[in-house]
Amino acid sequence: MPFPLRKPSHILVYILLTCREIGCLRRFATWTFKAMWHLSASRLAGMAMAMQQSFTVYPFDPPGDVAALRAEIRAFLAQHEAKLGVPNCWVVGDPEFSRALGAAGFLGMILPQEVGGHARHPLERYVVIEELLAAGAPVGAHWIADRQTAPLILRYGSDEAKERYLPGICRGEIYTCIGLSEPGAGSDLAAVRTSARHTAEGWRISGQKIWTSGAHMSHVMLALVRSEEGSERNAGLSQFLIPMDAPGITIRPIIDMGGDHHFNEVFFDDVLLPEWAMVGTRGQGWAQATAELALERSGPERYLSSHVLMTALIDAAGPDPEPQIRGLIGELTAELWTLRQMSMSTAAKLAAGEDPMVEASMVKDLGNSFEQALPQRVQALVDCPSTRDDDLARLMRALLIAAPSFSLRGGTREIIRGIIARGLGLR
Amino acid sequence: MSEQRTLLCDTAEAVFAEAATEGMAPIEAAGFGQLLVHEGDGGFGGDWGDAFAVLRLAGAKVPHLPVGELIVGGEISRPIGAFIRVAQAAGAMDAALAMSIDYVNTRQQFGKPLGKFQAVQQVLAIFATEAAAVNVAGAAAAAALDRAGGDADAALFEIASAKLRTNKAIGQATSIAHQVHGAIGFTREYDLHKLTGLLLDWRSDHGNDAWWADVLGGMTAKLGAAGLWHEVTRRADPL
Ligand SMILES: Cc1cc2nc3c(=O)[nH]c(=O)nc-3n(C[C@H](O)[C@H](O)[C@H](O)COP(=O)(O)OP(=O)(O)OC[C@H]3O[C@@H](n4cnc5c(N)ncnc54)[C@H](O)[C@@H]3O)c2cc1C
Repeated sequence: MPFPLRKPSHILVYILLTCREIGCLRRFATWTFKAMWHLSASRLAGMAMAMQQSFTVYPFDPPGDVAALRAEIRAFLAQHEAKLGVPNCWVVGDPEFSRALGAAGFLGMILPQEVGGHARHPLERYVVIEELLAAGAPVGAHWIADRQTAPLILRYGSDEAKERYLPGICRGEIYTCIGLSEPGAGSDLAAVRTSARHTAEGWRISGQKIWTSGAHMSHVMLALVRSEEGSERNAGLSQFLIPMDAPGITIRPIIDMGGDHHFNEVFFDDVLLPEWAMVGTRGQGWAQATAELALERSGPERYLSSHVLMTALIDAAGPDPEPQIRGLIGELTAELWTLRQMSMSTAAKLAAGEDPMVEASMVKDLGNSFEQALPQRVQALVDCPSTRDDDLARLMRALLIAAPSFSLRGGTREIIRGIIARGLGLR
Repeated sequence: MSEQRTLLCDTAEAVFAEAATEGMAPIEAAGFGQLLVHEGDGGFGGDWGDAFAVLRLAGAKVPHLPVGELIVGGEISRPIGAFIRVAQAAGAMDAALAMSIDYVNTRQQFGKPLGKFQAVQQVLAIFATEAAAVNVAGAAAAAALDRAGGDADAALFEIASAKLRTNKAIGQATSIAHQVHGAIGFTREYDLHKLTGLLLDWRSDHGNDAWWADVLGGMTAKLGAAGLWHEVTRRADPL
């Protein structure tokens, strides 16, 4: 074979691609290949810079027998079949279901055994939660505690906080809420004004949180508050665990547009907290809350919370649907499958100890758009007059109403795209 | 990426730099036709993941050359053809994204780089996300082909998903690329059309949206509601 040996790279390719068939030379060729590579690396680097990549794929490789783990959680779900099929299921709470999940060892999976956890790998937890979401299980009661509060307490919390809350979270008995948003601090979270004042008896909390999901079902709130008087923006903030039954707390329901009581206003009137209620380092609340948001935004719930509508559509369509419906199902399948690959890769990156901020934002944005479009695409093709009352029609209507919240909660679409743009070097 | 694949990509990139002006000859001479041939048969013994990585680069650097056709060789089946286009599109889209980012960081209007305008940042975030979806889908389709021992019919679910998703992304990505470039991107002289024009061609090649949606929708309908989730998970779980 003619071969222009003009550049080191060509010699490499030549050795790599043509010399390997000669058995006895193979080891030599590989060795030469590597040696040549080191010699020529610097020249090659100048010649052809490695191409930019929009998304680096991390292999999803949980330890242990994944099929067996899936079978276990599916068997659990089969026992609770009557409770499944809930749309937007991770905001729908069912303490009985949460306790059963805890008893079966599916909560606090990544926490150590000393605090009641199960010392499993984060990707094993991922397998379990994607099964729960795909089945539309009512996981809302414990969702926030298991997803973000428990890992935060484990990492930054005092010994008292760990003892008091973690075992109960693992049993599915203690629920938590997120105290970030305030009337004046929505997307601009650094505008938080709720304050913590240090006194001889402990910390005194005053102010207000709003849009607090599940505050009325929660035992404790993990709140971001201003602990340093006169501080500005993201400096001087700290995180606190606030027991929801502490004197001085008032919870007022806010009914959402679907008629459900899901989020709340929470008022703090000089609420007294013990020293151990502060989480992590005084004044480091912003960095900790950012770590918390990485857990909040990177999970499969950002594309799987409407999966039950897709299954209802497939059920209703039957094995041989008309061409238009078949086409829609095909498109939805492609999008779902792609999102799952992206989500698994993001989870794997987080599990590898790296920061998947940009990848998680991409999955959230794409997942939100997918889920918001889903009920509208079903509506456009399937005849569902408001009098129709089967599973498909009910789920479609419920999700049409729930959908606007998807690209608001956990960071709005615009904020999320801003994070992606920063990753591209534009900000 | 494994060290071997990194080396393969770096060498491919150097060869493609030459092929950009000289055509297929350097690529053929370097032996890329043997990439997927077994070592025992005198080939490189690469897998579909290697093919994806090389074709992704080809899509960015030499989108007009039939590198995939050389690597696969012989008659190209529709699923394998679709896989080739997905891999090329992954690279071409990342390249068009890089050009777009570069352009908006350089071009100034209203006294500042275009990239400082939030409206421009937000559409490029969409573009990047679409490019990411294609890259991830392509890599996963390659993994499925490897798992199926190169049997495209056994990897049809993933190939169909990846091609359909890629087709959808091509529509959005090419229009955003042109929008942020303004008139200069609409000229023959400026290189953007070499990527976007081919991306648009690839959307039709080896099955357009309707064709793959029909195939995949038929597969999913046969699986049934619960069957879909079981199949999606089973096919990707570690063996
Ligand atoms: C169902 C639901 C549950 C929630 N649960 C919780 C919870 O448990 N705990 C909690 O703390 N919060 C919760 N939130 C609040 C949520 O985090 C906020 O709604 C969100 O951060 C946006 O704040 P905002 O509603 O004040 O909107 P705003 O910040 O006022 O934004 C309004 C619009 O303006 C856009 N916008 C704002 N700033 C910019 C900018 N710089 N550039 C471009 N566009 C901009 C936004 O993207 C949005 O489209 C919940 C919200 C919902 C809908």
